Amino acid sequence: MSVLNVKVAEVEQVTEVVKHFTLVQENGEPLPHFSGGSHVVVSMDINGRIHRNPYSLMGSTANSDSYHISVRKQENSRGGSVYMHEQVKPGTRLQITYPVNLFAISKLGRRHILIAGGIGITPFMSQISDLNRLGYDYELHYAYRSPEHAAFREQLQEMCGDRVHFYVDSEGERLDIPELLSHQPLGTHVYTCGPEPMVKALHLHAKNLGWPDNHVHSEEFTAPPSGDEFTVELALSGMEVTVPGDMSMLEAMEEAGAEPPFLCRGGACGRCELEVVSCDGVIMHNDHYLSDHEKAEGRSIMPCVSRAKCSKLVVNL
Amino acid sequence: MERGYWIRSKPLYDSLVWKQHATGHVVIAEGDGGIAVLKLFQQMCPREPIKLLFADDASASKKYADIITKLVPEGLQVCESGEAVLAALREQLPDCLMGTQFYVAGSEAFIWAVLDELKVFGVQDRNVEKELSGTLARSVYCVHCKTTDKNVHHSIHQCSGCGRHLFVRDHFSRRLGAYMGVMVDAEEPGNIPAAEEIYP
Repeated sequence: MSVLNVKVAEVEQVTEVVKHFTLVQENGEPLPHFSGGSHVVVSMDINGRIHRNPYSLMGSTANSDSYHISVRKQENSRGGSVYMHEQVKPGTRLQITYPVNLFAISKLGRRHILIAGGIGITPFMSQISDLNRLGYDYELHYAYRSPEHAAFREQLQEMCGDRVHFYVDSEGERLDIPELLSHQPLGTHVYTCGPEPMVKALHLHAKNLGWPDNHVHSEEFTAPPSGDEFTVELALSGMEVTVPGDMSMLEAMEEAGAEPPFLCRGGACGRCELEVVSCDGVIMHNDHYLSDHEKAEGRSIMPCVSRAKCSKLVVNL
Repeated sequence: MERGYWIRSKPLYDSLVWKQHATGHVVIAEGDGGIAVLKLFQQMCPREPIKLLFADDASASKKYADIITKLVPEGLQVCESGEAVLAALREQLPDCLMGTQFYVAGSEAFIWAVLDELKVFGVQDRNVEKELSGTLARSVYCVHCKTTDKNVHHSIHQCSGCGRHLFVRDHFSRRLGAYMGVMVDAEEPGNIPAAEEIYP
């Protein structure tokens, strides 16, 4: 997969736990254009082990001089966000993928409701620049824990004017999702990015109110769940890879020198889908791509987030 | 019919069934679509408000407005024509909220005329329940002169715009609500197969 070599031009501490990084191309050339909601995958070499984390691009889509990402330091991090916070300084060189968009604004929509929880605000920053440019009807609902976690509040007020609504959890302010969804005109699309319970709640309420699935968009960048160690056999190359409990199957295969395809690394896009030849246990599907039926069949696995509880899994790679 | 061959753009129609999750229901039907409406109302009626727009059509095999009037207690609007149904729908759409479910029944031309109105309000055709009733007549778009002819019943159709003999394909345009018609004797001028009635 082609990569962009970038260097960090600036690091800004936005809140106690969020840092904002400005990236420019190492060779000084402009970066590729992207659409609102896009993300890049940042590669980090942490003690010889390559970590790849996806981060939303949050700058204006009109700007190709630099990319902007923000990283929340995760308490139970597998290392990526801590590395970004502690090791990455102005001048640090990083490798990123070309931008990919799995969270674009639907051009078929007539109105767009954006719901962000905490650091989930980042993809909306670039979406808003698109929405403003296109003159689309939108509203942003941004919920965060407490006043000191109000990342980008002033910038959002400036960008969105009275289209933005804030909900500060510590002050007892709650976003009433069913209420919000119950009075939207035909052709409304809703988008959410934030913690898993919030994303799940939105999908559930939208479904109960009769919203079609294709009007409900979400993005979650969760770390691949950990589990038990197991062995993967790559049927085509004959390679055998041990997947440790704290590593994803995709990472373990990459570490072993295989080059499996990938794109979002979050179980959403389906690019890394592998055919399962055999499995002497059960597959723990953690993706949002396969249907329940396909998951039950067990003929495919998304190695970026899914793993197996077995002694040996054989895949067609 | 070639086995195992399918043009994906060709729409699939189903029987109307109430959707379980909704804030309201709007049923739109014309002509023989009346039988689909009657079948729909034989199912357990949902709790949410229902609106029904219906018009009889001269070419339909039967008149349904009287029976429907007896069976559907409220929310029924019987219109003079398919056109009047579309106009009534246009008036109601601005007040419809997300969660409104739409059900359409009638000829294919009527179904896609309704979907065209819904599209303006951001309702995508895949989210609408559709039942094809009465006739398989096709609207055919001439890819040469861009004329659309309605009510085509035969495999080969002479275009009313340019006079070419068109082979009626299964390739369907959702934007135009019509099947593509391509000149059948382009390679061998004059070699025109016999037209067969396959869309009665």
